[in-house]
Amino acid sequence: MKEPDLDATGELELALARYLADERISRRDLLARVAKVGAAAALAPIAAACTSAATAAPATPTSGPTAAGAVPTPVATATPTPLPSPEGQLYIYNWQDYMGTDVVSSFEKKYGVKVTQDFFPDYQTMEAKVGAGGSGYDITFPTSVDIPKWVTRGLLVPLDQSLIPNRANLGPAWQNPGYDPGNKYSMPYMWWTTGVAYDTSKIKEELTSWKALWDPRWKGHISVLDDYREAFGMALIRLGYSVNTTSDKELDAALALLEQQKPLVRTYTVDDIGELSSGDSWVVHAWGSDVHQVLPERPTVKFYTPEEGGIRGSDTMAIISGTKHPIAANLFINYMLDAKISAANTNKIGYMGPNQAAIPYIDPNILSDPAVNPADAVVAKLQELLDLGPDLQKYNDRWLKLRSGA
Amino acid sequence: MIATRIRRAWLLLPGLGWLLLFFAVPLAIIFVVSLGQRDAFGGVSMAAPSLRNYSRALEPDFLPTVANSLRYATLTTIFSILISYPIAYWISRYGGRHRTLLLVLVMLPFWTSWVIRTYAWMIVLRDNGVVNSVLMSLGIIHEPIILLNTDLAVVLGMTYGFLPFAILPLYVSIDRLDPALVAAARDLYANGRSAFIHVTLPLTMPGIIAAALLTFIPAIGDFVTPDLLGGAQTITIAKVIQSLFLSAQDWPYGAALAFLLIVVTIVGTVATLRVLRQEVIG
Repeated sequence: MKEPDLDATGELELALARYLADERISRRDLLARVAKVGAAAALAPIAAACTSAATAAPATPTSGPTAAGAVPTPVATATPTPLPSPEGQLYIYNWQDYMGTDVVSSFEKKYGVKVTQDFFPDYQTMEAKVGAGGSGYDITFPTSVDIPKWVTRGLLVPLDQSLIPNRANLGPAWQNPGYDPGNKYSMPYMWWTTGVAYDTSKIKEELTSWKALWDPRWKGHISVLDDYREAFGMALIRLGYSVNTTSDKELDAALALLEQQKPLVRTYTVDDIGELSSGDSWVVHAWGSDVHQVLPERPTVKFYTPEEGGIRGSDTMAIISGTKHPIAANLFINYMLDAKISAANTNKIGYMGPNQAAIPYIDPNILSDPAVNPADAVVAKLQELLDLGPDLQKYNDRWLKLRSGA
Repeated sequence: MIATRIRRAWLLLPGLGWLLLFFAVPLAIIFVVSLGQRDAFGGVSMAAPSLRNYSRALEPDFLPTVANSLRYATLTTIFSILISYPIAYWISRYGGRHRTLLLVLVMLPFWTSWVIRTYAWMIVLRDNGVVNSVLMSLGIIHEPIILLNTDLAVVLGMTYGFLPFAILPLYVSIDRLDPALVAAARDLYANGRSAFIHVTLPLTMPGIIAAALLTFIPAIGDFVTPDLLGGAQTITIAKVIQSLFLSAQDWPYGAALAFLLIVVTIVGTVATLRVLRQEVIG
């Protein structure tokens, strides 16, 4: 029961960060309050964490003979050339609860590296910190959409492919992704889909389309993701346009569709888990992996990728410019791509990794859940969000108009 | 004489320094940023400073949002004072030796973070929450009514949150009121009601004004409550500013709106105080 669900914690921390910014709180207060936030987060629906923890058997991931001790020179098992010895430290900047339980400690043991992990309260904070330079972190987890932008800004250093032989474990779709050809700057970490979740105890018919989120019968019980790319993506897919369009005409049409939806919407939120588990919303614009986490508590919730198509997103692992521990960082990324480690991560957090070799070690409950691991035919209908450069402003302006309009 | 003055001026230093460092300087930074432009990566470009963000901010698009914010803040202020006045009056007049304890109880909620208390309201107000469960088990309603994510929830949450800010100044001004003045009014054949209206109320007006300002100003800038208890239909200007800084990463535009909000609040506060001071306090 230790691990609260990802997004409730994220929301809480986000709220806390806003609150702190608003209230100018003393450091001691802050500590006391953070402790309370932890307690409150534990109250949030977290049954999912328990079941996945119970089944995460391969969570002690020793992929090599490590029992012998913490000697930094690894036994040269797979690689013919001896590995350079890693630096003694590694600083990781990550989402909270976004790794398997013992992954960091087993890496520390295997390579004799002391790992320090910090967590960001929300993506924007991380981006601002890394973007400002001099953050002191070696590795972080940018969303794939941002990789081209980050590379242009000089925020990332190329990976040392010779230290990452486990890249071979990646599924074919991830070997040469559009956002980062040849995985030059990033390795995929986890991926997810966006679609619709609904409560079958409230809605007795089978839903298959995005149109459900526009159905006046569910007025006041519809929630939409507070994420303008996702919200416009949903409207653009309904209209048959690309989710990466920069055409003003198409975006205006999408805005009109969203304005038509707004009076029916209960709330725009990224806490899709909270909406589903509380029962406040019956039809929810949701991330599949979040829905997977709600299932143990609310088995009547069902997720589908709409027949019109859905959105696929992914997080990556990348090394930040100015890193002082490049060898340890590359070795860590390689470690995360190990089949058993990748499976341990998936089993703990309920997201699918891009790791083909990990599949035999993944919990069957995860593999069989279409919310997390959709069939190939469904995956074929998913679009990936791409970096739009300055044209992103077109989305921003319209989103502001939608949200602040009467 | 002058030496004494200088010595006394030292006492002002911490306050002035604080004001300069944590109000004037940030305000100046906000103003400078508001003249810039968002660059392609969500940073701030100061290449061509202009007032463009202000003309954007004054477009009529934001009128409904501003109207919403004003409505919430006004309702919160009115409810806070209506609830606080009797409480403060009772503590002052009938609290006896327990007055200190009662005032501590008023402050007690501050021992828990506001965010946590707002989350608690979410649990109380949601469809399967405490209020709906009680009403349904009593047979008053048969289907849950939507309380969370509505105007009602926002005003309720803000009133709850700012109530202590209203009680304390009201308590101080009621406590200062000499009961002999009320007794004199009664001796002159004023009944209880007219003694209250003609003596107590005017003499505690400074407390009412202080309470109104201490609830209205934080209420107009509050984005936590509208964010957590509000919904799709309850957008406020503070929430717009917050999303401009965070999700839209358009700091210059957000800074322009924030600067306008601060200026309007300061001007409004000063003007209100002037008018009221002349009319009420005399």
